[in-house]
Amino acid sequence: MSDVVVISGGVDGLVAGYLLAGGGRRVTVVLEQDLPAGTPGWVPPPVARKLGIELTVRRPDPWLRAPLPGGGALELWQDMQRSVESLRRISPHDAGKWPEFSERMARLGALLERIYVGPPPSLVDTSFALRVRRLGRRGMEDLMRTLPMPAAELLDDWFESDVLKGALGALAVADLQQGVRSAGTAFRLLHFHAGSPPGVFRAPSSNLGVLLRGRSGVTVRSGKAARIAVSAGRVTGVILDGGEELAAGTVVSDAAPGRTLLDLVEPGWLDPDLARAVGHIRSRPVAARMRLELERAPEWPTLTLAPSLDYVERAYDAVKYRRASAQPVIDAVADGAAVDVVVQYVPDETAVSLAPLEPHLPLITRQTVQYGQPHQAELALDQALWMRPLPELARYRTPIGGLWLCGQAMHPGASVAGASGYNCARAILRA
Amino acid sequence: MKRYDAIIVGGGHNGLACAAYLARAGRKVLVLERRERVGGAAFSDEVFPGFRFSVFSYVVSLLRPEIIRELELPRHGLQILPLESTLTPLENGDYLAQWSDHDQNRRELARHSPRDAEAYDEFGLLLHRMARAVKPLLRVTPPDPASLDPRQLLELLSLGQYFRGLPEKDLHALWKLLTMSAADYLDEWFESEALKGTKSASGIIGTLLGPRSPGTAYVLLHHYMGELDGVFRAWGFAKGGNGSVSAAMAASAQAHGAEIRTQAAVSQVIIKSGKATGVVLENGEEIHGAYVVSGADPRRTFLGLVGEKHLPDDFAASIKRYRFRGSSAKVNLALGELPRFTCMPEPGPHLRGAISISPSVDYLERAYDDAKYGEISKRPYMDIVIPSMLDPSMAPPGKHVMSIFVQYAPYHLNGGWSDARREELGDTVIDTLAQYAPNLKGAILHRQVITPADIERIVGLAEGNIFQGELSLQQMFFLRPAPAWSRYRTPIRHLYQCGSGTHPGGGVMGASGRNAALAILGDRP
Repeated sequence: MSDVVVISGGVDGLVAGYLLAGGGRRVTVVLEQDLPAGTPGWVPPPVARKLGIELTVRRPDPWLRAPLPGGGALELWQDMQRSVESLRRISPHDAGKWPEFSERMARLGALLERIYVGPPPSLVDTSFALRVRRLGRRGMEDLMRTLPMPAAELLDDWFESDVLKGALGALAVADLQQGVRSAGTAFRLLHFHAGSPPGVFRAPSSNLGVLLRGRSGVTVRSGKAARIAVSAGRVTGVILDGGEELAAGTVVSDAAPGRTLLDLVEPGWLDPDLARAVGHIRSRPVAARMRLELERAPEWPTLTLAPSLDYVERAYDAVKYRRASAQPVIDAVADGAAVDVVVQYVPDETAVSLAPLEPHLPLITRQTVQYGQPHQAELALDQALWMRPLPELARYRTPIGGLWLCGQAMHPGASVAGASGYNCARAILRA
Repeated sequence: MKRYDAIIVGGGHNGLACAAYLARAGRKVLVLERRERVGGAAFSDEVFPGFRFSVFSYVVSLLRPEIIRELELPRHGLQILPLESTLTPLENGDYLAQWSDHDQNRRELARHSPRDAEAYDEFGLLLHRMARAVKPLLRVTPPDPASLDPRQLLELLSLGQYFRGLPEKDLHALWKLLTMSAADYLDEWFESEALKGTKSASGIIGTLLGPRSPGTAYVLLHHYMGELDGVFRAWGFAKGGNGSVSAAMAASAQAHGAEIRTQAAVSQVIIKSGKATGVVLENGEEIHGAYVVSGADPRRTFLGLVGEKHLPDDFAASIKRYRFRGSSAKVNLALGELPRFTCMPEPGPHLRGAISISPSVDYLERAYDDAKYGEISKRPYMDIVIPSMLDPSMAPPGKHVMSIFVQYAPYHLNGGWSDARREELGDTVIDTLAQYAPNLKGAILHRQVITPADIERIVGLAEGNIFQGELSLQQMFFLRPAPAWSRYRTPIRHLYQCGSGTHPGGGVMGASGRNAALAILGDRP
């Protein structure tokens, strides 16, 4: 019998499992789905350090390529100077602003990088307030203004090029049912910047999943959790689809809070107010994710089709009325001859057209499509930091004894890979 | 030449409140108003013979009770008539009515959704509690969070302490209100479209945002913050129109010795070695004072009256990017008879309250979509009152005045505003409303249409924004109107600001004027 059963559909559960094993617990991980070769998202260095692994990180370069209306493309690189040169061809004004913008955003990004490792600060946390004050006057003013701002307003403040603003705006609203004019979307630009050099607003990817799968120290088995057994307010184990019961005093789940607490746990154990709040966590599917196998590798590592802020906003307008965008935002990242494409906004499982992408693509030999909300809880200001996914659950602990949450819905989650698993495991080991 | 302690630029309600407080403290005060009468956007006028209107702002809800009390406004003629219901006519001929009587309200809600009727009281209690938590902040001069000044550090600490004293649950609820959209917030509570539409409408007033835009939930609180004579949640009319609020403030200021000059447009603040010493009027006259207080909006104050060359670069940049984006228009109608709403055709108590054209969240959001891309809403949101029902002196016997607040009419209209576009807006409003009250067109004797461009031209509010700048999170509290200058002071010594472009701003509240006066008296005892 194990001390801990982890219900895992992604890297966070595995990270939590290995760290708990490192802390002396006997751990069984129920792997509900296989992990893809590439793990999207930044892995904070303490996570890799604690696991003792050497990650291979992929940073596409250029990290942003946006076609220009008259031919050619805007390209932003990992190297600042190359980005400035590319920008200069479309707007000397924007090229002049880019380094300062990047540097100021990087300062705020660095604050996020620090608070993403560890449980979220509380809303009236003095040490958090002091940390913010250490940003200095300019940094604090930037932070207070930028967090609640719409991405469109931030970008309009700095830049004039529609192509630049449109593409950055599209990245800011990735996987969110809001548009670029919605308050709080500038914060997301910083979020996706965490872990990258100044001026790079696309999170890297890594081989974290592969390394975790190749590790030993915990029992990993595939299966699907059907129920979390609770007795007298404490978990006693996990019952799998086939009826098998894995007994354990601690259960950690990286599934969405709604599934964990409302579906897997029998009704009645959760306070009705909390159950209602869990049901209200916003986790709306907004994008179709496609994986394309191509005849050969395309000429670009990334491609973003969102020619202006208004284009992105109009794409969003449709989803407000529960329709797919007639002209969606398309973002593609290539890995050799395989390309991951995100088409947004697509609120349900409607077929999506890749027509706008076709001029840029070699022949497609195979494609698969997935729908859903990868962040489990949309990353918006009311579901971030101390609010993620709900204030009552923000510390990874649930009101059911021995049941913990560690998925993408938890702080920091939302495409930061492994950090919520890491934070959760540390909370368990301290408890 | 006469020398004043304080010269106040602009006789809007905040300028007058500030003047009254300064005069009451024994300062020699001069108020300079560009127009023929004071009031700014709190202004009543006999627009058509026999018909009086609150031309711009039209209800009183947020006016601070301490101001009513301390300036003795009732003694100076202010009388508030309560506004007790809201009727939302629906597109299918039904309606949703909200009444001040609890049981009647509950029965009506239950007719639409028993679940909503259940949730309504709990919702009210929560918002009531939140409003109570926020209210003390309206009186606070926001400390500068980056300051090293010991006095401000103390203020910061006490602000921190105040928040730490609140139950954590309330803090989180407050955070949600500040960051969520009205639609998302209401979705957590209610299911009836008409109720959600009408409630979310209060979140979009004065902004170029839709009910699904984050940040709009906060304004729901305002409905629970309105308090008149200590009665929570009361909204009302000033007898004689909203100009009566300004008139009472002016009378109070004058009773304490303040001078008020109208038709005295200020063209420039005189600045000598970084210090404001007086103002120049448009006719060239110079008036000197120990300090100058501007009730004009931040753009007009700093980029117009002061001039960029006197300002630090960072500050000038902040003021330039401060957002106005007026989106509200007003249609004032003189009516030969009362409107007969299809859903409730007979005259009755519903005509003594507000009538809200907000049948659903989607309806409002679509209205916003038009404006977002620079067009007048094809089917606008409207908040309608008929003041003559409560105050018969507003119209000749048997006739009525109707005030229609309209959104959205974007200041930055594609192609710009013109007489033709103004009339187009008026027609859109009347056509939309006539779908709910078919006799309306025949009842109209006169109509006045006021676009955001008109508000800017007549009252002077930049881009016609009724709050002197959007009340969005990045323009509130510490950041209103600019970081480090949220304390009614300015980078120019002896120049202060007292308009709603400062904290807490917005609505006929008077708090900015009062807070500014207290800040000035603190600096210059």
